[in-house]
Amino acid sequence: MQSNFDRRRINGPEESFPPVYDHEEEAESSWKPGQSRQGRAAGDIRPIFLKAGLISQANGSAYIETEHTKIACAVYGPRQSKTTVYNENGRLNVEVKFAPFSCTRRRAPIRDAEDRSLAVQIQQALLPAVRLELLPKSTIDIFLTVIENDGIEGCIASGSVAASAALADAGIEMLGLVMACSASTVGEEIWLDPTAQEAQNASGSLIVAGMPALGTLTNVWQSGRLAPIRVLQVSSVHATDDRILRAHINHSQGMEACQERFVDIHTIVAQALLDNAHNT
Amino acid sequence: MSSDLVLPGQPIPLPRGPVPQLGSGIYSRDGNIRASLVGIPGYEGSTLSISRTRPHAPSSNSIVLGSITRLSPQQATLSISVVDGVPLPPGEEFTGVIRVQDVRATEKDRVKIADCFRGGDVVKGLVISLGDARSYYVTTARNDLGVIFATSESGATMEPVSWQEMRCPRTGRIEKRKCAKPEGL
Repeated sequence: MQSNFDRRRINGPEESFPPVYDHEEEAESSWKPGQSRQGRAAGDIRPIFLKAGLISQANGSAYIETEHTKIACAVYGPRQSKTTVYNENGRLNVEVKFAPFSCTRRRAPIRDAEDRSLAVQIQQALLPAVRLELLPKSTIDIFLTVIENDGIEGCIASGSVAASAALADAGIEMLGLVMACSASTVGEEIWLDPTAQEAQNASGSLIVAGMPALGTLTNVWQSGRLAPIRVLQVSSVHATDDRILRAHINHSQGMEACQERFVDIHTIVAQALLDNAHNT
Repeated sequence: MSSDLVLPGQPIPLPRGPVPQLGSGIYSRDGNIRASLVGIPGYEGSTLSISRTRPHAPSSNSIVLGSITRLSPQQATLSISVVDGVPLPPGEEFTGVIRVQDVRATEKDRVKIADCFRGGDVVKGLVISLGDARSYYVTTARNDLGVIFATSESGATMEPVSWQEMRCPRTGRIEKRKCAKPEGL
């Protein structure tokens, strides 16, 4: 009768109903296409809370919270890679897990395509920053647990920031701290750090990761419909340079808009790491 | 004090004069000297480095401590648990191998692994190479390297009597080991 009944897990009751939230209906009805963004300006990101070193048994860890996106990250290693052949460089292994209660619908605790694409994006964002040439034959394991999910774009961006803070906390050598920011186009506007609701209304979205300290980008991921001019103001790949930033600030779009926020996010990560370094 | 702490990617201001040698936690890119770890940069002689006391993987010339897990006529396998005086987290040991030609410096062809190590012995060794995919190559061919802790057949902790022998204090029997020279002797 019940083919997918798993007696090793705690199973829910036979009959259940989804809870009814009254604020959910409000939010859906209030915004209409063509209106400007509600709650914050188009170029604003959600407030970020970041704390390093919360998981005691991990070598390094970080917890990040941006309103309804909550991610815990733990870094283990460098440990000896046993299964692979001899390798001069180390390996960076990223795994993302969604908590069963992280989304509006319950997520079964199995690995699926979404976990992996998230892990690949975060790994790509971190890979150019970590000095793997110093860790022959070793593996660094990064485990991210999404406790609450509010938009996949936000998860990738926040996850990359948390993972980079956790790597720094673990004492793993990096060229620089990796920051990431997401953006979506809604109508004519570009909204930074969209929520799940906002991303649903967007025609395209963009995630940019980079090292603001070095003025380099590590990963750009684009999905949906997005005109090239909006994605790139190509001249400003090194836009963390203050002069260029100010020159473009009036028509900040896509990548530039994200990179401006890097400096803000970098300040938060730096503060979290310094606080943690002083306490230990 | 917070001004002394640097973050990964942060440029390190250098005094005028010759550029120091770069140690761990520091790298140079496009002519800038930058930090790659969270910490306070400091000088050891002419080397600028950010010291870290966190556990790290063995490299060539690391002094390691480990216990013998397996013996064969060709090699002894040890599970490395301390690297350069920093203990590794439990469950994250590295495996090392002492090959028969790396046990001692002289009369290498007459070495018998069984007369030098026993299972459970704690050995101090020097990493000579990163070895193959599975293990690091470790040598004990130095006076201060070898078995530093061993229990006898009757279970008592033995004491070294020569560089090749250890005595059990309970039974007085002599067992063969490749002993490390005790520190401060």
